[in-house]
This record gives sequence, structure tokens and C-alpha cells, in this order.
Amino acid sequence: MIIEKEICIGCKRCQLYCPMECINYNENQRKCEIDLDECVECGICLRSNVCTTDALKQQELDEMRKLRQTFSNPLIPHKTTSVPGRGTEEMKTNDVTGRFRRGHVGVAIELGRPGTGTRFIDVEKVAMAVALIGVTFEMFNPVTDLMVNKATGKIKDDVLNEKVLSAIVEFDVDIDKLEKVLLATKQVANNVDTVFSVDLACRLDQDNTSPAESIAKKLGFEPYITGKTNVGLGRPLFKEGE
Amino acid sequence: MTHTLHRRGTYENLKNDYVIFAIAAQTVNAKGTAPLFQDFYNIVNKYDPVNIGDMVTGNMYSLSKSVIENGTKDNSIFHAVFTDVETVVKVLKDLKEANLGLSIVVSGILKHVDKCCSEAGIQRHTVENSLGILGNTKKLPTEKVLQINTMCGHGMIAFNLIEYMAEMIKMGKKTAKEAAEELASQCHCGIVNPVRVAAILEEMAKLSVTERD
Repeated sequence: MIIEKEICIGCKRCQLYCPMECINYNENQRKCEIDLDECVECGICLRSNVCTTDALKQQELDEMRKLRQTFSNPLIPHKTTSVPGRGTEEMKTNDVTGRFRRGHVGVAIELGRPGTGTRFIDVEKVAMAVALIGVTFEMFNPVTDLMVNKATGKIKDDVLNEKVLSAIVEFDVDIDKLEKVLLATKQVANNVDTVFSVDLACRLDQDNTSPAESIAKKLGFEPYITGKTNVGLGRPLFKEGE
Repeated sequence: MTHTLHRRGTYENLKNDYVIFAIAAQTVNAKGTAPLFQDFYNIVNKYDPVNIGDMVTGNMYSLSKSVIENGTKDNSIFHAVFTDVETVVKVLKDLKEANLGLSIVVSGILKHVDKCCSEAGIQRHTVENSLGILGNTKKLPTEKVLQINTMCGHGMIAFNLIEYMAEMIKMGKKTAKEAAEELASQCHCGIVNPVRVAAILEEMAKLSVTERD
């Protein structure tokens, strides 16, 4: 996103709407300007219609700016998912896809969320930390698509300094490896310059409980009281073992 | 995509916050589902949700409901937000009876949702737990700002805008409802609960900026 200086009247209203706080006021010129190194191309400033003079403009995006946009603007679908937003279907369609089966856990580590943004250098740190344990990165996921080595979690060098609103490292792991994954996650948290939100998706056991939640609690995590529940109404219902 | 997960709050303000949404699996059953999302809309809209939205079109605070209803696509993700469990049970019963074949997900207090499913005669399939925030948490704002910000999982509600709205209420320039609906309009998917936002903003407005930490 850019601000056309000839049109900007320097009212600063747009600054409030930027989640990355990258719209600055130039005191000398009395105009607002966007720090393109920090801008993630989420587009919310433009969609908010906050600018009374239409000075905000979506410039033509090169490959790297488009990459930022894909991970930051929830209206843009990624080629690997076909759904809008930077994430994936994960557990939402698990009743139909069987993506996470009994004995397995889906783990999503969303870097940059809430509200801080992330560069891929930190995304790579997390991906490589969990890869050491032996996880299967989700194929239909925009971060996995950037990996040059899906066994190690190594991400393309040319994108490592790109900043995005958030990026989700998503993988499936045998439940007996979950403890190691969570410990590695805690450890790598000390080495990143952003925040990340962690979640576990688990097919419920016959007794209506989540074995993954129990493991997390044992390691000192305190799962939120809220969560997501796939209520199993999707059809055709995926049947394990068929 | 965990856009309705990670909603922070207290038990008291989360017990009035439930998102029900429908999605089709793009590689399995998505083809031809656009009309089914309209059926989903007709069911949820009967119960006066406080927000409605579809990721492919937008939310009811930035578009009319009819635009959202008529804009459904096979890759829609259609959301409705409710403030009480009694309504969640009614919606789930209707969805079970309608047998749309779309995957249905409910976000909210897990124990309450489990009870809702039982009352609707539904067996839960898969659960996703949030384990919280790790990393450089010094970068985070106050808890109340986070409670509002995390209602939009795509992070479209800027921390500064939330603080600004609290100040507008404090100065009497906006009502809490007006401020909450303006914040809700930022979230394209329509998953923000403006009733809950208004209550949190009112709490913030009673305090000075330094007292909010």
C-alpha cells in the first residue's frame, strides 16, 4: 500500500487502522507515509475507507509484495488451499477429510498472532525446531509451500526477511511425539522476535475426550476454556480404516 | 486457518460468545455447495445473530445481509455469532435436521459447546484447543485490548484503534454500540461479537489509559 503525497492532507486518521503501526507522519512534509519494509499488504487501511481524500492506493505488487499480501490479506486465497485467508481447512472439515485421525494430533503454530506480525526468519526457526522431532508438514498450507526441504522445515532464503501479518506452521504428528513437539515449541519461543499462538486439533476418543489436551496439561500448558468443535455433521463422513 | 480460535477473555464475558460456521472440504464435497450456504444462512438468520459474515463477501456491518446471502460460493466460509447457549442448541438442532452435508464448527467455551451438542443429539467429532501465546510477549498490548483484537483471527482490528474507540466513548463522542460496530466492520469474516466488544470497551472507558494495564 502506498499514500499519494500529492493527495494526502496529513490528517493521520489512517494511522489508527494499521495493525502493523507502519503509517508514519512526516513532520517536514506534513503528510503520512507508509514504511514499506513494515507494511504487510493486509489492505485494511484501504478497505476501512478511512481516507477522506482517497490518498491510499494499492500499488502494483511484485512477487515479494504479493507474498506478503497472501499471508496478510484475508480476502486473498492461496493456491494450495483455494479458500480465502492465509490458513487452511485444518480441523474444520476433519469430519469429511479425515486429516487428523485417532493416534495423531494436528498442531498449528501461528507466528505473528496476535497483532505483531512476523518475518519468515522466525517462521523458519519454529518449523526447523519441530521438524527435528519428525513431523509431517501439512501439504495444503502456504508456509509448507515455501519450504525448500519439507523434512527439515528450511524455507526459501529469498523470503526470509519478508514480513507478514501471520504465518501458520502446521503439521501432523504421532501422539506419542506430541510431548517432544510441545517442549521444542517452548524452547524455540525464546529465540524469536515475535509472538505465536499454539493450538492442537485432535479427533476425540470414543469417550468424548481429547488425549492431546491431557498431554498439554501435563507439560504445564493451560488450554483456554474456549476452543473449536467440529460437530461431525459434514457428509460424506470420513471413516477411518476404509 | 484458526480464525475463530484463540479468543481471549474471562469466563464471564466468554460465556456470551459463540461462533457457528459452515465450510465445505475443497477436495471432497465443495462442488455445488454455494446454495447450501444460503440454506445455512436461512437457518442461522432465524435466530438473530449479532454478526453474520462470509469470507468471500464480507460482514453485515459493512454489507447488507442480502448481499452476503446471495454472494455465497463453493469456497464460502459462512459465520454467525450468538450470545447464548440456548440459541446455539436451537441452531444445532436445525442444522442436524437440515442435513446440509457441510462441515459445521462451533467456537466457544468447550464445556458449554459439548453440552449444546448433547442437547442437540450430536456427537462431537474433533476439538481444537488453544494453548495460548508464546514468544516475545512484551510486544503485546493490555489484556482488554487483546480480548477485542483476538475476536478477529485475521488481526484486522488494530490495537491503536481499540484504544482510540475506548477514548471516544470516554469523551462521549461515540456510544459503546457505535464503537463496537465500527470495530466489527473491520473483521471481514463477520466473527466479531459486537455485544461483547461494547461491554469490554465500556470497561476500558471507565479507566484512564495507564489504569488499563
